[in-house]
Amino acid sequence: MPVVLYRVDERLIHGQVVVGWGHELRPDRYIVVDDAIAESEWEQELYALGAPQGEVGFVSVADARDRLDAWATEAARTVLLTRDIASMRSLLDGRSAGVAVNLGGVHAGSDRTHALEYLYLTERDRMDLRELERQGAVVTARNLPDAQQVPLDTILAP
Amino acid sequence: MLFRSLLIQGAWNYGTMLGPGFAFTLLPVLRRVHAEDPAALASSIERHAEHFNAHPYLASVALGAVARMESDGADNETVRRFKTALRGPLGGLGDTLVWATWLPLVAVGALVLYWFGVPGWVATLTFVVVYNVGHLGLRAWGLRLGLEAGRDVGTRLTEADLGGWARRLQHLLVLGLGVLSGTILGAPDGLGSFGPVVAGLAVVGFVAGLVGGHRAWRPAAAVMVVVIALIGAWGILS
Amino acid sequence: MELFRLSMLGGLLGLDGTAVGQFMISRPLVAGWLAGWLAGVPELGATIGAILELYLLVSFPTGGARFPEGSTAAVVAVAVATPFGGPGAVALAVAMGLVWGQVGGWSVTVQRRVNGRLVQRLLEMGSSSGGLIRLHLVTILIDFLRGAVITSVGIGVGRFALGLVEAGWPLSKEFSVGALYMGAAVSLGILLHDLGGFRRRRVLFAAGLALGIVGARFL
Repeated sequence: MPVVLYRVDERLIHGQVVVGWGHELRPDRYIVVDDAIAESEWEQELYALGAPQGEVGFVSVADARDRLDAWATEAARTVLLTRDIASMRSLLDGRSAGVAVNLGGVHAGSDRTHALEYLYLTERDRMDLRELERQGAVVTARNLPDAQQVPLDTILAP
Repeated sequence: MLFRSLLIQGAWNYGTMLGPGFAFTLLPVLRRVHAEDPAALASSIERHAEHFNAHPYLASVALGAVARMESDGADNETVRRFKTALRGPLGGLGDTLVWATWLPLVAVGALVLYWFGVPGWVATLTFVVVYNVGHLGLRAWGLRLGLEAGRDVGTRLTEADLGGWARRLQHLLVLGLGVLSGTILGAPDGLGSFGPVVAGLAVVGFVAGLVGGHRAWRPAAAVMVVVIALIGAWGILS
Repeated sequence: MELFRLSMLGGLLGLDGTAVGQFMISRPLVAGWLAGWLAGVPELGATIGAILELYLLVSFPTGGARFPEGSTAAVVAVAVATPFGGPGAVALAVAMGLVWGQVGGWSVTVQRRVNGRLVQRLLEMGSSSGGLIRLHLVTILIDFLRGAVITSVGIGVGRFALGLVEAGWPLSKEFSVGALYMGAAVSLGILLHDLGGFRRRRVLFAAGLALGIVGARFL
C-alpha cells in the first residue's frame, strides 16, 4: 500500500494534513515534493516540525518521479504533498492514469482568481489540471476528509 | 517588542488573521532598518501585514527570528518563505501546548483547590499567577530563541521538543482531571450527596462527552438551560 | 454605578480574550471572582465562576462562536445573581450566563469581520506606521465597547428575567447548585476525549478519581 494521498496544499505539512487527513489515512510518512525546499535545509527543519510523529522527506520533482514506483509498492503508507499545481503536474506527467489528486488549499495571490473558498488558481493552473484529467487522473478538491468533495468540472466552472 | 506582542491579535480578522498585529509588533525594528528610506518602510509594513497565523504566544518565535533577519538584511523572498514555513508548526505546537494542555491544567488545578475549600480569591490568584508565569515565560523564551537563531530557528525548536513537553504535561492533566471529577463527586455537598439518580445522570453526561467530543457540548448546555428555565416557569405557575 | 463598573469589567475582560494580552483573566473563574468582588459578593462570584469554568474547560480563545464567551458569561451571571438571594438564584444566573455568553461569542465573530473590513481599508489606503497604529487603537476600542455593551444589556435582560421567576423557585439551594454539575460532567468527559480518550491513560485517570473522592471525603 502505496501513496495514500496526492495533495496540493501550499501550507504543506500543517494541521489540516497531519490532524485531519492523518487521523483518516494513518500515513507512515509525509513526502514534500518541491525543487526549492529540497535544496533548503532550514526550510526543511521548519516544515518537519509540523509532523512530530512519522517520517518526513523532502525531494525534488525529478527525484520523486524516480521513486514513485518504489513508494507505490512499499508497505509504508505515504502522503505526497506539493505546494503548487505546477509541481503536481510535473510529478504526474505521463503517469497520471487512475491517480486521485486532492486539491487542499492554494490561497489568494497576484494573478490567481477565486475558484473555491480555499482555492485560487491561475490560468496556467487551470490548464495543468485539465491536462492531468485528460491523462486519466481524478482531480477533486477537499480541504478536510469530512468536507464535501468538489469535482474538477465544478472547480473550473466560470 | 515583548510588550507590543501582547497586542498581536489586536486586529484579528478572518482574512489576514495575525498579519496586521505582526507588522505592528515589528514596527520598531522596521523603522530602525528602513530609517533612511520611507518608501521601503511602507512596503515592508505592507508585506508584514499580509496573512500570518500562529499561536499568539509562540508567534514571538517568528517575531524574534524575523526581527533578526530584517536587521541582518535578509531578502524579502527569504523572509516570506520563512514565515510561510513557520506559521503551521507554531500554530500547531501552540494549540497543543498552551490551549489544549497548559490552560486546562492550571484551570483544573485551581478548581481542585477551590473544591477542597480554599477561599475563592486564593484559587483565582493561584490560577492567574501560575498560568502567566508559563505564558510570559513562553513569550520571552520564544522571542529570545528567534532573535538568537534567526532563519535557523527550526533546529532550536526541534531541540526544545515542545511536543514532548505537552505530552508530559498531559499525563498530569489526566491525573488532575481524575482528581477534579472525584472531588466533585465525593465532596460533602458534591454530586454524590444527591442520591444515585443525580450521580448516575452525571456519569451519563460524562460518558456522552467522552464519546461525542466537542459535538456533545452544545446539546448538553442547551438541555441544562432549558431544564432550568422550565423549572423556573413551573415554579411561578404552581 | 455598579452596572457601569460591571460593564467596564465586561469590556476589559473581553479584550483579554483575543485582542490584548491573553493573560486569561477572561476565564470564567477569574472573571466571576472579579465581578463578585466589584459587586461586593466575592464568594458568590467565585462559586459561579468556578461552575462556569467547569463548563468552559474545553473552550479556548480560538473557538470563535462555537462556545460562549467566558468573560461575558461569568460577569453577566454574577451580576444577575447578586440582587437575588433565593435558592434558585445561582442556577438561574448560570443558565443566563450560558445563554448570554453565546451572544458574546457571536459578537466576537462580528467583531472579527469588522476588523477584516478595517484592515482591508488600511491596505487600500497604503500602509503606513501611523495607519497601522491607528488601526490597532480603533479595533481595540471597538472591541472594548462591544464587550461593555453586550455585558450591560445582558445584565439588564437577566435581572428582568430572574425577577419574574426567581421568587417561585421550587427546589432547595443545595440541589439546584448540585444539579449544575451534571452538565459540567459533560465538559470533563470532552476534555478526556480530547486527551486521547479513556483508554490511553485510564490508570492515571482512575488513580486521580480515587484520590479526589478520598480527599474530598476526609479532608
